[in-house]
Amino acid sequence: MLEWILVGAFAGLAGVLGWVVVRWRGDVRELRRRLDVSASQLQNLQLSFSRFAPGELIERIINDGDQVRGQRLEVTVLFADLAGFTALSERTAPDVLVQILNGYFERMSDAISHHRGHVSTFIGDGILALFGALSPNPWQSDDAVHAALAMRATLAEYNRELEADGLPTLRVGIGLHRGTGIAGLVGSRELMEFTVVGRTINVAARVQDLTRQFGTDILITAQLRAKLDPRFAVRDLPATEVKGVKDAIVIHAVEGYDAPSGVAGSA
Amino acid sequence: MSLLREVEWEPCLLERQPDPELTDELRKRHGAVSSSIAYFYPCRELADSLAGMGALHVTRATIDPLLQDMIGAVVSQDHSCRYCYAIQRVVLRAGGLSEERIRKLAEDVLTADLEPAQRAALEFARRVSRSNPLPTRAEARKLEEHGFSEMQVKEIAGVVGVSVFFNRLSTLPALPPAGNEELPDRWYARLFRPITGMMINRMRRQVPVTRLSDDERRGPYSQVICALDGLPVAVALRRCIDALLASDVLPLRTKALVFAVVGRALACDMSVQMGSELACEAGVDPAVVDEALAHLRGDGLTDAEKMLLPMARETVWYQPAPIQRRAREVRDALGPQRLIEFIVAASTANALCRIGAVVVDR
Repeated sequence: MLEWILVGAFAGLAGVLGWVVVRWRGDVRELRRRLDVSASQLQNLQLSFSRFAPGELIERIINDGDQVRGQRLEVTVLFADLAGFTALSERTAPDVLVQILNGYFERMSDAISHHRGHVSTFIGDGILALFGALSPNPWQSDDAVHAALAMRATLAEYNRELEADGLPTLRVGIGLHRGTGIAGLVGSRELMEFTVVGRTINVAARVQDLTRQFGTDILITAQLRAKLDPRFAVRDLPATEVKGVKDAIVIHAVEGYDAPSGVAGSA
Repeated sequence: MSLLREVEWEPCLLERQPDPELTDELRKRHGAVSSSIAYFYPCRELADSLAGMGALHVTRATIDPLLQDMIGAVVSQDHSCRYCYAIQRVVLRAGGLSEERIRKLAEDVLTADLEPAQRAALEFARRVSRSNPLPTRAEARKLEEHGFSEMQVKEIAGVVGVSVFFNRLSTLPALPPAGNEELPDRWYARLFRPITGMMINRMRRQVPVTRLSDDERRGPYSQVICALDGLPVAVALRRCIDALLASDVLPLRTKALVFAVVGRALACDMSVQMGSELACEAGVDPAVVDEALAHLRGDGLTDAEKMLLPMARETVWYQPAPIQRRAREVRDALGPQRLIEFIVAASTANALCRIGAVVVDR
């Protein structure tokens, strides 16, 4: 009798152990699956992040958190702003305005990234784009001005579409400057972005303001002009004083690019 | 299954031109010869050196073959080369690595199940392959703290260079990856995996450290080649450079300018200087060279150069599909032979600049 009780107890114990093992294996499998999903999501996130910051920087953020040192870089800054946007926003229905604006941002971003630029941020209706910030680029000035010309061409096409739909058209002013800036992660703990800060950004923004004064859409500084392919057709403009900059800025209006036959405009 | 299969990939730009006689000859000389070499047979002058470079996948002097394969996989993954990564995955599977370990390796070197020395080597390999910015010799020396000898560190850099070379050789003409991508998941591949593993191991060769001859020490990129002295990669690269420069499909000046442009994109002064000097020796006016390097344009450039130099710059960092579309334009304008020779020139420069950064004191 005792033997049967022992056998029964042993069988029961074995059953319980078996159940625990099966359950445990199921849990392990589930944990592994979740871990795999997380790893896959992390990788997708990493891939998405690479559009906003250099791959190496992303790895440093993963390893060290957001305490990443800034670094001084030579960059070309493109600052674009819509002319008369405030007035446009007051006389256009909000949903239509957002639709127009999103179409504009999408097209401009494509033009910039096609020429190896990186949109650092959208400021209202403005765009701040950087060339040579994500990776070293000895041809950053040529790329930036090619991008500005592509933006001009793309906007003309977009305006034709808007006009055909009976919607208001857009006018853009683009200022470009080349200089040094501090690149790094900037912002609060809640909202950070990889960008460049410093005088170079301010100068590009001020030069963009001058597009209205000179009635043109693309202006570059002399510092950028000095590094630019001479095939770009530029028009000299008088040196102009701007707010926040000690000396008058020498600027040039970009007319176009004199591409040799059989060669595309983009480098 | 790899995430790389999501990467957009154009239809192949080259046609295979099987030549069993030539393949046999190359096999006798180099041992294992990849079937993909037949895509490059239109440039017969380069076939031998390409087969020699290909043999480096299974040839080593000082490092562990598993590390060699893992570096190949990590670099190919980093360059989104579906073709090379698929082959590396087949090799790693046949070598006994589980699908999970390969996937973890592909997902993140930092979290993969690796020995500390392996992880350090793979992180170093990735930095060399990315070259954003170009790493330094000092970074290579740090790897020695993980127990690698100076020769092993150089061989690791060489393996990265060979992967960088083949990533471009496969991605630019969009060699079809589909067959190799599906292979490890096929039932028959699983069944015969031990045999495949044995066959791959039979192909592997550990060669003794062999010094370069005086002739091999001379010529373009001699600083890099001499720094690799003793390793099989040194001889293979020297033969590749010599064959490339001896071939007349593209003029010497064009290939020299490609070396200089790739060097400038990677901030490799050695390649810029060597390519510029070679172009001037080939008759290009120094002012034309300067302008080409400053703007990738110039009235003194040939039509082919006006097309190839901007593309040479793109071979440094790229997304597969856009660069494949660009390569298609080149093929349609200049023909497949000139496309092949351009790809070999750009791939060679990309490999040598990256290796040079960590094996030559700057």
